[in-house]
Amino acid sequence: MDSVVQLQRQLVDYTVQLFNEGFLDDQFNQLQQLQDESNPDFVVEVVTLFFEDSERLLDELAKALEQQSVDYTKIDAHVHQLKGSSSSIGAQRVQKVCIGFRNFCEERNIEGCQKCLHQVKREYSLVKTKLETLFKLERKVLAAGGSIPWPM
Amino acid sequence: MLGMWKTNAPDEFVSVKFDMEMREGSSPSDGASSTPNSSGRRRNSAEAKEGLGFIMCKRLVQMMQGNIWISLNPLASAQSMTLVLRFQNRPSYGRATFAPGSSSEQPSSNPQFRGLRVILADDDALNRAVTKKLLEKLGCEVTAVSSGFECLSALNSAENSVRLVVLDIQMPEMDGFEVATRIRKVRSRSWPLIIAVTASAEDNVWERCLQMGMNGMIRKPVLLQGMADELQRVLQRAGEGL
Repeated sequence: MDSVVQLQRQLVDYTVQLFNEGFLDDQFNQLQQLQDESNPDFVVEVVTLFFEDSERLLDELAKALEQQSVDYTKIDAHVHQLKGSSSSIGAQRVQKVCIGFRNFCEERNIEGCQKCLHQVKREYSLVKTKLETLFKLERKVLAAGGSIPWPM
Repeated sequence: MLGMWKTNAPDEFVSVKFDMEMREGSSPSDGASSTPNSSGRRRNSAEAKEGLGFIMCKRLVQMMQGNIWISLNPLASAQSMTLVLRFQNRPSYGRATFAPGSSSEQPSSNPQFRGLRVILADDDALNRAVTKKLLEKLGCEVTAVSSGFECLSALNSAENSVRLVVLDIQMPEMDGFEVATRIRKVRSRSWPLIIAVTASAEDNVWERCLQMGMNGMIRKPVLLQGMADELQRVLQRAGEGL
């Protein structure tokens, strides 16, 4: 069983890595700043909202791109939403793909859009896994009696 | 004797008038001199002899948008001198409190925001949750709604207790601009205050916000310090009566 200090070390290292690789940006720090004793699960709650939102949007996007006659306005609206929520939690790589996605929508470029959908699905899946790992590490630290050292 | 009045001119200026009585035997130091006219013929003030000092004063005062003149008594001797000075109306730097300490302090320590009643309107659940928490962190009391309609009805039922509305511009059905227009139709420009939240990077969004009667604007993603700064700026301007 790892000691508290070791667990904290793991958590910090993992978090720093996520920031370095661009999965998370400063907005994620902002969320951590908002968490306090009155709302100790704030970050997890908001990120869970993000997961639910994104999965719904990705489904809608896939459906919309399969249509005979593609509704680019609708697709753009979905991507705009995804861009907004990913930016609100600091999921930087997802947000970046959304920017390119919107450009292809404007150009009504079906291939570009399909490529972006594929990319954004991949980035979303990656950041989801990473955040779930991060939260697991946090729970381990807390269970061992330690506290989360934020900001890192 | 001192009097003050406002002219018919637009409320840009206020005039202050000084009436100085001149008793016989005394004369103002640089005074106007007057010659009693033994024939009793009245002279108007423009014809009264004026000392050099008085002429200089007159010139200076007129350059300052005021005027100075001498009123004669029936004996054509100086009776009183009147000085009018014109001042430009300036907003008063009222009781707006400035945040104590430097900007390196936590924004949540600003006492101005404590208990500030806010309505937050954003159709996106995630953004709503984050912005609400952010405002609460700054000390505000927040009612969060998810549409323009809900925002307007919440405002109506709260009567006058809501100080600030934070409004996402890009909402379906009724966007932030329309909400602001409707609010301003029935409320004054500074109660409630309206801050727009927008994802747009376009330059003319701010102009549009102003035209619709909004008081401030923040770009997404909303940061704690960014919100604190804009809140403070908007409250300060409201306190100055701008």
